[in-house]
Amino acid sequence: MKRKDRIAGILALAVGTALLASGCASGGDSSSDGDVAMTFWQNSTTGEGKAYWEKTVADFEAANPTVTITMQSIQNEEMDGKLQTALNSGDAPDIFMARGGGKLADVVAAGQAMDITDSIDSATKAAVPEGVLSAFEVDGKIYGMPTAVLPGGIFYSKDLFAAAGIDAVPTTIDELNTAVDKLKAADIAPIAVGAKDAWPAAHWYYFFALRACSQATMTAAAQSMTFDDPCWLTASEQMEEFVKTEPFNAGFLTTSAQQGAGSSAGLLANHKAAMELMGAWDPGVIASLTPDQKPLPDLGWFSFPEMSDGAGSAGAMMGGVDGFTCSAQAPKKECTDFLNFIVQKDQQEGYANAFHTLPANTDAQGVVTDPALQSILTAYGDAPYVTVWLDTLFGQNVGNALNTGVVDLLAGKAGAADIISAVNAAAAKG
Amino acid sequence: MRGTRERQKWGSPATYFIAFVFIALCLGPVLYIVIGGFRDNSQITASPAGFPSPWRLDNYLNVLTSPTFWQQIGNSTIVALTTTIGVVVLGLMVSFVLARYKFTGRGAMYSLFAAGLMFPMTVAITPLYILIKDLGLMNSLAGVILPQIGFGLPVTIIILVPFLKAIPDEIEEAASIDGASRLGFFFRMVVPLSVPGVVTTGILAFVASWNSYLLPLFILSDQSMYTLPLGVQAFASQYSVNTASVLAFTSLSMIPALIFFTLFERRIVGGLTGAVKG
Amino acid sequence: MSEKSAGAASVLDEKTLTGTRKVGDIAPNGASSPTGRRPRRGADWRKRLEITVLSGPAIVVFVSFVIFPVVLAAYYGFFRWKGYGPATDFVGLGNYAIIFADSAFREALLHNGIIIVLSLVIQFPIAIVLALLLNQKIRGRSVIRVLIFVPYIISEVIVGIGWGLMLQTNGAVNDLLESVGLGAFRADWLSDPKIAIWSLMLIISWKYIGFAVILFLAGLQSIPEELSEAAAIDGASYWQIQRNITLPLLGPTVRIWAFLSIIGSLQLFDLVFIIWGQYIASTAGTSTMATYMVANGRTSGNFGYGSAVAVVMFLISLVIALTYQRYVLRRDTAGALTERQK
Repeated sequence: MKRKDRIAGILALAVGTALLASGCASGGDSSSDGDVAMTFWQNSTTGEGKAYWEKTVADFEAANPTVTITMQSIQNEEMDGKLQTALNSGDAPDIFMARGGGKLADVVAAGQAMDITDSIDSATKAAVPEGVLSAFEVDGKIYGMPTAVLPGGIFYSKDLFAAAGIDAVPTTIDELNTAVDKLKAADIAPIAVGAKDAWPAAHWYYFFALRACSQATMTAAAQSMTFDDPCWLTASEQMEEFVKTEPFNAGFLTTSAQQGAGSSAGLLANHKAAMELMGAWDPGVIASLTPDQKPLPDLGWFSFPEMSDGAGSAGAMMGGVDGFTCSAQAPKKECTDFLNFIVQKDQQEGYANAFHTLPANTDAQGVVTDPALQSILTAYGDAPYVTVWLDTLFGQNVGNALNTGVVDLLAGKAGAADIISAVNAAAAKG
Repeated sequence: MRGTRERQKWGSPATYFIAFVFIALCLGPVLYIVIGGFRDNSQITASPAGFPSPWRLDNYLNVLTSPTFWQQIGNSTIVALTTTIGVVVLGLMVSFVLARYKFTGRGAMYSLFAAGLMFPMTVAITPLYILIKDLGLMNSLAGVILPQIGFGLPVTIIILVPFLKAIPDEIEEAASIDGASRLGFFFRMVVPLSVPGVVTTGILAFVASWNSYLLPLFILSDQSMYTLPLGVQAFASQYSVNTASVLAFTSLSMIPALIFFTLFERRIVGGLTGAVKG
Repeated sequence: MSEKSAGAASVLDEKTLTGTRKVGDIAPNGASSPTGRRPRRGADWRKRLEITVLSGPAIVVFVSFVIFPVVLAAYYGFFRWKGYGPATDFVGLGNYAIIFADSAFREALLHNGIIIVLSLVIQFPIAIVLALLLNQKIRGRSVIRVLIFVPYIISEVIVGIGWGLMLQTNGAVNDLLESVGLGAFRADWLSDPKIAIWSLMLIISWKYIGFAVILFLAGLQSIPEELSEAAAIDGASYWQIQRNITLPLLGPTVRIWAFLSIIGSLQLFDLVFIIWGQYIASTAGTSTMATYMVANGRTSGNFGYGSAVAVVMFLISLVIALTYQRYVLRRDTAGALTERQK
């Protein structure tokens, strides 16, 4: 009767609780007989990128016969969610993609990332600049190995610029506005932006903030998670002004960044739009979306325009650093060996070629031939400082709120001040 | 005068016209997906709503010859069939208890299951993930099947309980007079009588399981274990460049569910009609 | 007893079942029968065993995989928790205060409300008319039935991908409008906040009207023809018959359909997520509580907050469901929740 059902119910609850309690500690993947198996998550699901990783894994396994690595390719936009769930349940992959900043800090705070400060070999230290390694630094210790430096700026189609009668790349915001007008007159979509994924739209705000705020202000904001300095609002207002000139492609709110010919990268690849504000991964993405799947021959790059009287230094750059982190439960020696392996010159040269991007290893940067990338390299070398993307810097919670706030502004749904209130509100939720 | 027994008479043209319009609206998007698979990307970009010219078979052929596709169909089938059987068997047993036994906790038990309707999978996914992991069922089809059975029980029970309630007491009394126990009554009389309800809930459970996306997304990490919706999404993002390919894959993955429904459609309506006609 | 009476009883629960029950009123378990037969001890014990055996497995599976995670989610709702390691930052009802103060959540709730109402208002008339039309035994009926059910069978992922592609600014729908000369109607179907919610309703209706029609058809076919025949003999017109006999008898089916529709509308997630992505649903005016939960919970790494939103969703659904059950479904489920009327 009722009692039997109650008892059954309670038993089920008890069993469940017991299982959960006992299962909270999870073991690592290495077995004790010498053979080591590791799992590896990266975000290249197709083409040369995926092929590069498959070869790299095979090469490492050949050099280390006792190690087997199982690789998982996860679409970029799904990576955060899946990684989050895996880390949360203690079932993390041994090697996973990481970008540093606040996101990494959260993982470190939960004890899920391995400290590799002492395991970085000398070859790596010689070839990878301190500043790049420091992107993965939390509280003075290094928690990941960078594989690519991805500074941002505006990629553009030289052919389309010529068709619209633009002779020189814009260096100030007024010149950019002029260029936008000329492109519109020539019936070309001036700027493609993949606002569906939010972060591409937000990048416009990040750069306005980079110009308006000093480096010290930005670092302080990352620590305190408050955005009271007036420079944040100034950046917001400047962006609002810019957006009012309607420089973006039609339907930009539902344009994705990298998926398919209709994405912002696809628009550039097919000469349907003239410019895109992106990081140094873009040549590679565009190459996969061109009709012949080869790099776009007329792709150029110029630095984000300077604003007059901003607190940011001239020539400052913002960029991401892609890399990989070892999970705290991974087998230390094998995992750090892998990290050191992938950052060697040969591997990094292969990486640069496969992804059409800038490797972190400075010795490998010699293979970069793409003119757009070479422009970036030059600017990167001249930059007084490089910050990480703001959403990476601020961590997932505030970063997401920032991104969504910017999209709202682009859609005309919110004003300049609302971005600031959105990020302040988000800080309270997590 | 209505109500003749003719089964094959034609309806009025107006009825057919309205039905035709409605069906056209229903199938239009589906046809877009199916036909889109016969084009290639340049056709789609140039003329989004046009017909294939020329018709290209390679997208469909690529999908049909890819072992991943069939593997995913296999996984989806195993999961959906097992879930359906589990939901139906467990659901029928509990519904029988709720419908025909009298005991004090009955209202509470019914409410317990009904409350399950209120919770979508998105809510429970994180703790559920941890539980599945602790049971060692990660990346296994069982890790998907068991929660799906659980989440499928509320709808099944809500549908079956009134159904079973409606079996008149006389049948039960007659059975008990004939010496059959309650359980015997269950197996020999209730089960056959409840077939129409079982078919309905079975179909709902099968379709829900077949189309389920979120749970497999988090439980199945190995590509070889993927079910079809996961495969569609993975394919769509992996080959997102290739819209035509995506459309081909998508339309092929619709087919198994459609076949299943077509096979059983007669039984649903047939079962319900049969109960009235005798 | 003939199958016919069994069938008739199965449908006209309220009207005839009570009648048949009154005949020969001997309940097998005899617990409260008027003849006062007492259960033997053995029968009682066996009854409990049967109940356990029959309902046990379902209860175990359900409690372990549904109730238990749900309770755990409620627990996490009291914490600020990044999702890694154990939850330690207890905030009590703090998350809930933030939820109700957040305009984005109120917007999402509003959208859910709009979706609930519009779903019922749009789908019901169309589905009823179609069901009445298709209830005749005409040739091709089963083919028609299969075809209109197709959208329901297709997964939301596929529907999302397909419609998402069609409604793009340079997609098939706009292209079609141009080619038939209605180019003036080209619109930003997905991103214009004034239009997007209607696009969503279009897709939802497209997907679920077939389901309503099939459900109504099943209900209609359980109504014995003799009733309408008798009315026809008495001189009632076709529409009078529908209004006075068919529709009222269809009542229980309609009420169940409305209930399922409301619950579905409250939990809407997949379609919005696939088409509008993780971030722009609120900008486009199509966010729902579920997308809000995922955006502010999982995607932002605020698992405690997200769990609190989940609990709020659950409570709102529960209140609506209970209210609905009490005031609308009471007549239909009377037997299930209360003692049988003897």
